[in-house]
Amino acid sequence: MSATREDVGGTPLPPGWAKPAHQPDAFELTTTTFEERAAKTMARPFARGAIANATDHAAALTTARFVGTDHQALREEARRIRAHAIANLPDYLDQWIDQAERKGTIVHYASDESEARRIVAQICTDQQITRVVKSKSMASEEVSLNSALEAVGVDIYETDLGEFVVQAMGDRPGHVIAPILHRTKDEVHELFSAMAGHELPNEAEALTAFAREGLRHAFLTADAGISGGNFLIAETGDVLIVTNEGNGRLTTSLPPIHIALVGIEKVLPRRRDLAVLLPLLTGHGTGQQITTYVSVSAGPRRQGEPDGPEQMHVVLLDAGRSALLGGEFEEALHCIRCGACQNVCPVYRQVGGHAYGWVYGGPIGAVLTPLFRGQEEAGELAQATTLCGACDDVCPVKIPLHDLLLGLRRRSDADGHVPRHEQLAFALWAQVWSRPLLYRATTAVARGSLRTLARDGVVSAKNPLLRRWTAGRDLIVDRRPR
Amino acid sequence: MTDRASFLAAIRSTPRGLDPGLPDRRDAPDAPTQLREGENRADRLQAEAEAASTVVHRVTANDVAATVASVLVETNSQRIALTTDLAPFVEDVQAAMSVAGLTGSIYAEVASNRAQAGALDATVTGCIAAVAASGSIVTSAAGAGRAGALIAPTHICVVRDEQIVGGLHELFDGDVLAEAGSLFALQSGPSRSADIEKVLILGVHGPGNVHLVIVAPD
Repeated sequence: MSATREDVGGTPLPPGWAKPAHQPDAFELTTTTFEERAAKTMARPFARGAIANATDHAAALTTARFVGTDHQALREEARRIRAHAIANLPDYLDQWIDQAERKGTIVHYASDESEARRIVAQICTDQQITRVVKSKSMASEEVSLNSALEAVGVDIYETDLGEFVVQAMGDRPGHVIAPILHRTKDEVHELFSAMAGHELPNEAEALTAFAREGLRHAFLTADAGISGGNFLIAETGDVLIVTNEGNGRLTTSLPPIHIALVGIEKVLPRRRDLAVLLPLLTGHGTGQQITTYVSVSAGPRRQGEPDGPEQMHVVLLDAGRSALLGGEFEEALHCIRCGACQNVCPVYRQVGGHAYGWVYGGPIGAVLTPLFRGQEEAGELAQATTLCGACDDVCPVKIPLHDLLLGLRRRSDADGHVPRHEQLAFALWAQVWSRPLLYRATTAVARGSLRTLARDGVVSAKNPLLRRWTAGRDLIVDRRPR
Repeated sequence: MTDRASFLAAIRSTPRGLDPGLPDRRDAPDAPTQLREGENRADRLQAEAEAASTVVHRVTANDVAATVASVLVETNSQRIALTTDLAPFVEDVQAAMSVAGLTGSIYAEVASNRAQAGALDATVTGCIAAVAASGSIVTSAAGAGRAGALIAPTHICVVRDEQIVGGLHELFDGDVLAEAGSLFALQSGPSRSADIEKVLILGVHGPGNVHLVIVAPD
């Protein structure tokens, strides 16, 4: 396989391009607080503006997409399908495995993250795989697959344009479906010019063409393609992948081996359920009528087919999912990873995805991260919400995200993760503000104090007393200067 | 390593959540990807495909070959492959191509060598269906192959009027997918990305030019 590597078209990427100075090996969850991580994004004005613009744009497209249809009925239908699939998860998984194996798929079982890494690394070692093209997979981010494969001598090429940039920068994706939302064209230009060894034109088109050329070479020479999966279809043993660039299909078509790493919760009972879930996934994800490429495969290439892999492996990933079944947080498993809740979240829109410290940002990240990583590491994320409920309103499968966040806060409280002084302060506050007279008295005092601090009706960012509040914005005390 | 039995047993040992039951297909709600009442399938397909930056040609069966050849000339395509699902138009298309001074290979012969497939300028394929309401072409591993529709910078797809289904429900409820082989796929317009500062770029990994030739009924 490697004999023809140098002469197949495309331009090989320079050796070592995927080994940036900074490797995102360890998640920051354990070493930093939410506030510290958020401050990093807050300190980059472009990132804040870009995140807000992009999320506004996506949210508006989603709204427009469903005009003239019974959007609420469609969401309710989707909720029922997801709830039914998750309530019967072992049965549907069993059926999926039967069908997939019947079509020649080799199925592997990963109970946790380290098992997933071991399985994929083992396949690479057994099959002498040294070069891998990879299409976007959040599950692989969960298990830190790339560093595990690099450790066994595999070169990995992320082929989604955004993920390619993320990989070369030694960064992490900042959004479920728009990985470099927080990066500028200038940053990409600098990166790609350094990789090319000469100055590239600073235009999105030219930069994209540079990545295409390098990645085309990788597609044509890779020993295996690694993907995630958006859905598993129980009745047919299918794995479904959606992409807009086409990298998902090339990843699963050109190399001789396809390996998909898929969370067990992605199962749907029937193909016809896609008629409900697909327009919601794409409509809420990017606002498109449908994603450009929807690829549904079951098993390796068959007799008489012109192309396709000789082997198809699927690694089913549990890693904390089954522990949620039947419990208070089961609905978190209904998520189809569209990213819509991130787009509307007033917290995410300010702090970006990295502040959440792990793989998923926004409301679903604030729910999944403590559930998958534990209360100790990530319990504080349940506080990273205003409880405004915008995420509930936009979720295509109607996950009650704000109830789940409240549940996590209660759990945090019950586990003794809330400091004694904070408990006392809130108890006192509840006592005071549930009495109208005291409420009026305390707010009058507060208003008076703020006015003394304000100049022309505004407490500015320079005021040391309220710095934590005013670091990111002015506090307006009176609309009209007095 | 965990095996199937213990993996599933661990999942089965958890409490069972509330099951609202699987919804009945017959009262499925409306979706953007469904045909509206009284809509013409071919017209809707054209509108949705054009909205996704596909170039649409409406022709009669007699004009298919000439249309395909002229697109190949326009896009300056030299290395061209045809897939077998282009039947019954394969011979006509090849004849029109040779008039224009072009030759085409059969994709299956090219695809056995990744380097050759990767160097194609254009592919001409049929499809197993088209979905009007989503503007999608549906191809199969058995016909256009897995990568036949997106390996080259230009993709031309020929769809006959009777192959057009209204919406996604009709596609998934019909029997057209049964013979698709190891993969079926929907493609709706050129490959696209807006990863860099939300600037839309066509032709990232797949084709930047997608032409859909809709053949009118006889």
